[in-house]
Amino acid sequence: MPKPSDLLQGTLDLLILKTIARKPLHGWGIAKRIQILSGETLSVGQGSLYPALHRLENQGWICAEWEESDLGRSAKVYSLTREGRKQLERELKSWDRLSSAVHLLIQNA
Amino acid sequence: MRIIRIVKRRVHALLHRSSADAELQREIEIHIQQLTNEAIAGGMTDAEARSMAVREFGPVSQIKEECRETRRVSWIQDLAQDVHYGIRMLRESPGFTAVGVLTLALGIGANTAIYSIVDAVLLRAFPYSDPSQLVLMFNVPVKRPDALSSISYRDFTECRSHNTVFSEMAGNAFHDLTLTGAGEPSIVNTADVTPEIFSLLNAQPLAGRTLLPEDGKPGAAAVAVLSENLWRSRFGSNPNLIGQSIALDMRSFTVVGILPASFRYPDGAPRQDVWISVMQDPLFGPLTSKPGVRLLGVIGRLKPGVSLANAQAEMDAMGARFAQTYSAEDAGVTIRVRPYREAVVGNLKPALMILLSAVGLVLLMACANVANLLLAQATSRGREIAVRIALGASRARIIRQLLTENALLAFLGGVAGVLLATWAVQGLQRFLPAEVAQIGSVHVGGPVLAFALLLCCTAALTFGLAPALIATSSNLQTTIKEGSERAGRRGGQHLRSFLAVTEISIAMVLLVAGGLLIRSFALVTAVNPGFDASSATRAEVSLPRFQYSSPRQWTAFSNELLSRLHAQPGFGDSALAAPLPMDRQGQASFAFSIVGDPPLPPGKSTTADYQTVSPDYFRVMRIPLLRGRFFSEQDSPSNPDVAIISETLARRYFPNQDAIGRQMRFGFPPDSNVQRQIVGVVGDVRDVALSQQPGPMMYVPFAQAPLYGGEVVVRSPLNASSVAAAIRHEVNAIDKALPVTDIESFPDALGQSISRERFRTFLLGSFGAIALVLAAVGIFGVISYSASQRTNEIGIRMAVGAQRRDVLHLILGQGARLALLGMGIGVVLAILVTRWIASLLYTISATDPLTFGAVAVILLGVAVTACYIPARRAMRVDPMVALRHQ
Repeated sequence: MPKPSDLLQGTLDLLILKTIARKPLHGWGIAKRIQILSGETLSVGQGSLYPALHRLENQGWICAEWEESDLGRSAKVYSLTREGRKQLERELKSWDRLSSAVHLLIQNA
Repeated sequence: MRIIRIVKRRVHALLHRSSADAELQREIEIHIQQLTNEAIAGGMTDAEARSMAVREFGPVSQIKEECRETRRVSWIQDLAQDVHYGIRMLRESPGFTAVGVLTLALGIGANTAIYSIVDAVLLRAFPYSDPSQLVLMFNVPVKRPDALSSISYRDFTECRSHNTVFSEMAGNAFHDLTLTGAGEPSIVNTADVTPEIFSLLNAQPLAGRTLLPEDGKPGAAAVAVLSENLWRSRFGSNPNLIGQSIALDMRSFTVVGILPASFRYPDGAPRQDVWISVMQDPLFGPLTSKPGVRLLGVIGRLKPGVSLANAQAEMDAMGARFAQTYSAEDAGVTIRVRPYREAVVGNLKPALMILLSAVGLVLLMACANVANLLLAQATSRGREIAVRIALGASRARIIRQLLTENALLAFLGGVAGVLLATWAVQGLQRFLPAEVAQIGSVHVGGPVLAFALLLCCTAALTFGLAPALIATSSNLQTTIKEGSERAGRRGGQHLRSFLAVTEISIAMVLLVAGGLLIRSFALVTAVNPGFDASSATRAEVSLPRFQYSSPRQWTAFSNELLSRLHAQPGFGDSALAAPLPMDRQGQASFAFSIVGDPPLPPGKSTTADYQTVSPDYFRVMRIPLLRGRFFSEQDSPSNPDVAIISETLARRYFPNQDAIGRQMRFGFPPDSNVQRQIVGVVGDVRDVALSQQPGPMMYVPFAQAPLYGGEVVVRSPLNASSVAAAIRHEVNAIDKALPVTDIESFPDALGQSISRERFRTFLLGSFGAIALVLAAVGIFGVISYSASQRTNEIGIRMAVGAQRRDVLHLILGQGARLALLGMGIGVVLAILVTRWIASLLYTISATDPLTFGAVAVILLGVAVTACYIPARRAMRVDPMVALRHQ
């Protein structure tokens, strides 16, 4: 089975945080959203989203409630906590640093 | 905030595990349902859509497992599960469990038992404040700093008043006095001290007071401090005893205080009853004014900040000054300072370290054995493990589970081992050498249990890690396809052979060490002590000096006693000597000079052991006469003084000349300058211990050099207790106030003199035996496992014409190769290692070829026998069945 590499995993965390920062979402919604945004990159192994969600929840960055949803039944809806919002900012900053560094490297290579 | 949320979630997860799992299941189910719905909307059938959705989602059970692992509490649940599972596994294979637990119990038990001795002797704190400041001081000849002796009262007082390094110094000496009045007369173990010892050791009395500096001055009133034990047993805990008087050797002492039973000096001394000032002791008091008598053991407390080296430097200077100022007594002598702990336990440490290393090797072997068992088991569990990995369990998770099982096994082994150790320590008490028993009680207490627990954990990791790694490393697909038995075979077989070889080489080392000690012990016990100990009994009688004050009374008493013993029915010959060989108090050794020889240079002296004996002594002890004559009744005080010397003394100091007729000067202090004519030369006697080479000895007739008491030796075919009763009866018939002590059969006394040798021989011998058993089990396991793995191959060999004998040779050969390899390594290790025990060996070398050879034969024999059982089983393989196998 393709396991997410460390880089991909870190990126996945960032994508999840970013996605639910706009509005709280259930797992299915998050997967769909990332799929649309990333253009099919994550289409295989959607299940690998869940360990990441659970890890973020256990780290206290996001929290979850079972509530009625657009799926026609109650679903586990994830939302960002206050600390999660700060974490997102930190992750975005470090992502910016990393991507601009990579960008520089590629340009000068 | 975040922390609280995390903790809340984890506690929730822990308590509501099943609901958390259900939620996870529901969450995943919703997702898959949505994927399915999409696919159906895209035009697939229900079934197609469902399988498409599952494929797109990914491996469900693995994802679930990953989700669960994000809850950090899962290790607690896992642990509970692993323990539960581990117990089930252990119960399912009782044979494996029993062998594993027993092996570990042997290893951990032996280690715990030895550690309890180490704890009692080397590690337990002494019951004095700041024991690290305590030092002992000895007079030593400048040339021989190891020949420790006591210090004279004069040198002690000089040293005490003039030194700058000790905050306090005190002296002590021990001997027996007779306590009379208030019931049967009894011997009390008396400590003659200088009063400072109590403040130095910070001893607090239970009642009354301890001795004060005034009590140590000449002319002070005679006072005594009693032990709590004596106060309770002898005086019925009489609260009014303080202020009353007691009689010691018929001299009256006023009781001023009681010391608690916990106070001992030195720590762990067997029994102390009375403390008095050395000045007032009926025997030792007068000796304090004789600067030639080295009477006192001396203890000092270093001033804070003063190092041992500082103290030694000052004592060197003081010793040099004494040697000049008091050249008559102190020429060639200096003062040596030793830390208290080193002085008390120093000579036990090397032997204990050897035992501890040996027993550590036993534990290593036990671990190797269990690792071997686990390897075989892990291999047969390969399929189960592979399936679990396929289902999403991580490798770390499985290793953790296997280690938990191992920890359970180690724990069971540890419990059994501690029980074994408790039992062994009780059994060992009898064998403990006298010094160990004196230092402290050996028992399995708190620190020892902590040590056992540490051993368990170490053992579980040692024997468990490698098998767990190997079990989880095998290739998944091969394992599931090929079935259980092949998995991990390559790595496992090598490791197993390696372990077996290691075990055999360790066993070789332990057996050689044990063998060397056993052989050396056999040589010691077979040695001729120079006298005949069989059917002889010994007993000690000492006379109170106040009542029996004149030498004439001493002689009269001994004559009376000997004639009464002679008339006793069932008694053979009897004699009296002071001291007898193997006296526990040690032997008396005095300087002598030979009349007519040039005087010795200053600082040098010749000494020999001294015994004063009744005329029949040599005949009764069956010590052979080599030249001249024995003593006779004519050697009385009114006739010329005579002496008999031993063969060694004659050979060493009268080389190439006849000693008979020559004159020597020596004697028991204070009569140390008596001139005596040598009338006989007798055979050498081992008087200190069986294991010690005989030294020069000189004998004098008791009638010419009587003492206040002595030891009788009686030859009798009667048993020891009736001999003892008869001796006691006769002594009390002369004076019913006289106690008889240390009654013992002579062979027992000989055995006692080599108790230390017996102790370590017994222990190292036992370790060797355990090692042999473990090695046999180890190689048996390896060979039988490998034989069962080769069933197929054996079947083919037999099908193409191999005979049963060939199969037998094949399997036995494999075992013998392992054994020989292990033994080869073991011999090299043994040669490297046994020199550490060279100093413990009696007359044989550390590479004694006979011992090495015998051990090799035994080990090879046991190893081949252990392989014979699986080899026979392999020999009986039916080729048809074997070929169908797998």
